[in-house]
Amino acid sequence: MAYFRVTLLRSAIGLPKKTHGALAALGLRRRMNTVYHPVSQDVAGMIMKVKELVDVQEVEQPLTKTEMREMRRPDPGFYVEKRAGLGR
Amino acid sequence: MLANPIRRSAHCVLESSSNLPPAFLLPFRARLSTVSQPVDSSSVPASVTTQTSAPTVDSIRDSSGPSTKRDVSELETSRRIPLSPKNFSSAVPRNPKPPESHTKRDSSLNTANTGVHVTPKIPSPTSSTPSIPTTPLSGSVRELLPLLKAQTPHYITAHIYARPYLLTAGDIITLPFLMHGVAPGDILRLNRASVLGSRDYTLRAGAVEGISLVGTPTGKMKIGYLDERLFECRAVVMGTESEPMRIKEKTKRRQRRVKTVRSKHRYTVLRVQEILVKSVKEIEKEENLEGVILVEERKE
Repeated sequence: MAYFRVTLLRSAIGLPKKTHGALAALGLRRRMNTVYHPVSQDVAGMIMKVKELVDVQEVEQPLTKTEMREMRRPDPGFYVEKRAGLGR
Repeated sequence: MLANPIRRSAHCVLESSSNLPPAFLLPFRARLSTVSQPVDSSSVPASVTTQTSAPTVDSIRDSSGPSTKRDVSELETSRRIPLSPKNFSSAVPRNPKPPESHTKRDSSLNTANTGVHVTPKIPSPTSSTPSIPTTPLSGSVRELLPLLKAQTPHYITAHIYARPYLLTAGDIITLPFLMHGVAPGDILRLNRASVLGSRDYTLRAGAVEGISLVGTPTGKMKIGYLDERLFECRAVVMGTESEPMRIKEKTKRRQRRVKTVRSKHRYTVLRVQEILVKSVKEIEKEENLEGVILVEERKE
């Protein structure tokens, strides 16, 4: 099943209440928030209401919040080769 | 809209019976291969939760994803991958020769459905165990590495949590964070570096094809890392430092109550013990001994 990956790129500050409402319906609370919604006419309509503020991609699998967070996690770049102390 | 090509890590083929880590945890390396390799499911760290979402692409290669926290997993040891050119070929000493770039692009990408984008996979695995390297050295590296090795002292740009630190032997670094799980006296092996150089020679990691995924921090360029076989960099944990006590007063106008917040952060101090550049013989000897091949490219 395909999903829309919707990212809020521009803020809705100063925009009409309806626009705020559309973003709330999509679940976009702040800039750079990313949400996944299944592809449907309803969701497509909501996106069309805020299409200037938002980036949309079509994707097969939605990611959860933890998954997206893990994607951002960097590589430690080190490992502990030898521990100090006796028998550690 | 971005056309996100399907990325297959050229690690191992997932057996249908074993648990596939979620697609987002597969490494970002995208070294494609048409050769099937057996997978060792023990290479998948225990911390990876297996979810029901099926892999989006046929024959997604399994490889261990990033392990959380200090989960020392046997990540690297059990992976076997076909030979693939890596950043070796483009890790070229700069001076005095002009750099060559042999960076292989992911030319064998193919999308399952043309209209549907696949979410890019999670970037690099953690370096919680020594990784066992892979492909043969490219000609220019083989030629100039001895020259680089002979010209001490060396410097290195090591990346700790993707932040670069320009180091040489004997340097003392105060990290901007407190490193957990280490005690004074522990020896750390820094294995992510982008630049390794001496006075006249510089070994750089090849350019890395980044996926710019909207909504992820792609302000920084994707970092390409050197192959770990080329160098050894050790640092010892010296201890912790702390900043002077900071007091923040929080209050509002015309409000008598003043709240005080005290901060005294601690920072880990490391001392770089040594930076060794390996010789070609040593590298090839290791490779023969190990017999496993591992894709090298790290992306951040």
